[in-house]
Amino acid sequence: MLDRHAPDPGAAPMAAPDAQYLDVVAIRKAFKGVTVMDGLDFRMARGELVSLLGPSGCGKTTLLRIIAGLMQADDGSVILAGRNIASLPPHKRNISVVFQNYALFPHLSVAENVAFGLRARGMSKADAVKPVREALALVRMQDFAERSITALSGGQQQRIAVARALVVRPHLLLLDEPFSALDRKLRETMQVELKSLLRDRGITGIFVTHDQDEAMGVSDRIAVMNAGRIEQFADPSTLYATPATPFVMDFVGLSTRLSGRVAAQEGALVAVDTDLGRLRAPGTLAPGTPVLIGVRPELIRLDGGADMNRVDLVLEDVAILGSKTMLQGRPGAEDRLLCELAGIRNCKARGDAVSFHWAVEDTLLYDLSAGATP
Amino acid sequence: MSTARADRIGLLVLPGLAYLGLIYALPLFLLLLKSFRDATGALSVAEFVQIFGDPLQRSIIARTLRVAFLVTLLALVIAWPTAIVMRSARGGWLSLFLVAIILPMSLGVVVKAFAWSILFRSNGFINQSLMTMNLIDAPIRLLFTETALVIGAANVFLPFMVLPIYAVLQQQDPNLPDAAATLGAGPYQRFFKVIVPLAMPGVVAGCAFVFSMAVSMYVIPSLIIGERQQTVAMQIARSFLFLRNEQLGSSLSTILLLIAVSVVLGSSWLAARLGARQ
Repeated sequence: MLDRHAPDPGAAPMAAPDAQYLDVVAIRKAFKGVTVMDGLDFRMARGELVSLLGPSGCGKTTLLRIIAGLMQADDGSVILAGRNIASLPPHKRNISVVFQNYALFPHLSVAENVAFGLRARGMSKADAVKPVREALALVRMQDFAERSITALSGGQQQRIAVARALVVRPHLLLLDEPFSALDRKLRETMQVELKSLLRDRGITGIFVTHDQDEAMGVSDRIAVMNAGRIEQFADPSTLYATPATPFVMDFVGLSTRLSGRVAAQEGALVAVDTDLGRLRAPGTLAPGTPVLIGVRPELIRLDGGADMNRVDLVLEDVAILGSKTMLQGRPGAEDRLLCELAGIRNCKARGDAVSFHWAVEDTLLYDLSAGATP
Repeated sequence: MSTARADRIGLLVLPGLAYLGLIYALPLFLLLLKSFRDATGALSVAEFVQIFGDPLQRSIIARTLRVAFLVTLLALVIAWPTAIVMRSARGGWLSLFLVAIILPMSLGVVVKAFAWSILFRSNGFINQSLMTMNLIDAPIRLLFTETALVIGAANVFLPFMVLPIYAVLQQQDPNLPDAAATLGAGPYQRFFKVIVPLAMPGVVAGCAFVFSMAVSMYVIPSLIIGERQQTVAMQIARSFLFLRNEQLGSSLSTILLLIAVSVVLGSSWLAARLGARQ
């Protein structure tokens, strides 16, 4: 390995503290005059697995391509292991990418695909044999080395794409919707498998996905993106329990949501008037402020004490989902009423009048007034 | 679909088959038959022995192959960058490229050849320009040369090289060069290790088209170099029309046919081999 960009497991990071292993600063990007990203910051630690989660068009793939060097940001810097790589072309960054369609080379065999990165770095064919065999063993594909790419199933192709990306010992591994081409069962198996593989090897990785379950399953932290901004960057449980914005609350998990207006401040609580009555939530807001009330469906019960929030409603739908049952009421325009009960409870049916109860401290409160920070 | 139905649909091939058989295969067969007979009508390869023993005929065959090879090479060199640019072109630009490539095909070869003679002749544009720039003292001979023939023919056959290469490039997954880049491959490696190998079926098809057309061309050499330097196709025409030597004409036709058939078979074998890997 004569190339100066050759991977060297011992030498990778310089003085950079591990907490700032990747530091993406003030990224700006416009397409044909339309700004899609304006001053985005993103930072992750060495060995961390992070997901960029968001709907299509939120900028997650743009960010991935900017980090990989496949796209140039208009402004900002990308610092990896203490070095600003923003102006380096992709082939000099030592950042591997697993593409959504895997982008395996159809004219090369499985082993040749895996060897591609090593050969591109100037390694001889003979020297590449051993690392290629090890990489294939890592993804349990050693018996397929001489196969043609087209003879492989989707799951097998994904393993080869991962082996090809890891064999060069990248400083960073980017995965663009890596599971979206797989069917549901296989997807879950591959998620568990890939996560433990990356963990064991101490790989720093970024998953790009629009699937919240996938993001929750594979990552230490999730950056929820919307309209070119990161709305919240936190570990899965924080993200779920205390979503920073209504967008995060809606994008990650389900919720009951009711809009209303602040009626009064009552100590540490805010009283809110909604179409379904007065509710209380922790917080401090001026009376008259338009707000959104949210609560996770599994925190709702059908009975409760007088100190709990309560709404009365008629059930619109009862969905039996095996391990749980979802009760849905008919709310107003933007509102939603969802209650999740563990197990199968056939006691309730469509048309039944019920009451949803939940603890005041489980209530999420969002300021919807103009100018409020999202 | 039932087998009976499929069989009946198969009948649709009959008109085309009859047409090809009557208009193409039969006369060709008769011609081939003639080439393997001597003047008395007995089966013989005497004519071929004579052709390959004749230095003039050998030089004509050699020139034909050389010109066809150079035409193919020139067309290939020009077609590659064109196809690359076309792949990244969108909307109006792409239409413009396609029109620019396809429209000249509708312009007859005769018109083109006379247009070139304006360019190539001793007081033509090229010589005038070179002399004005003091690069040459006296006009150089361009018209009636093999160089002019190669340049002219490559121009006529260029679309048949560009279009198949463009077609395969356009089908390539745009992520593949990106994947190669993130694996450490620079621009040259991406081109020669990924883009070119994947485009080979199109390159083979384009070369087969252009070579088989160039090896059998008649009108272009007749107009550009005239009788001075013959090609096999011109020699065939001469044999039938002026020399009244049908033996020579059909034997040369057989040689030309064998060259064309081997190019077509060789290239389809190559394309199948390259395709099988993908």
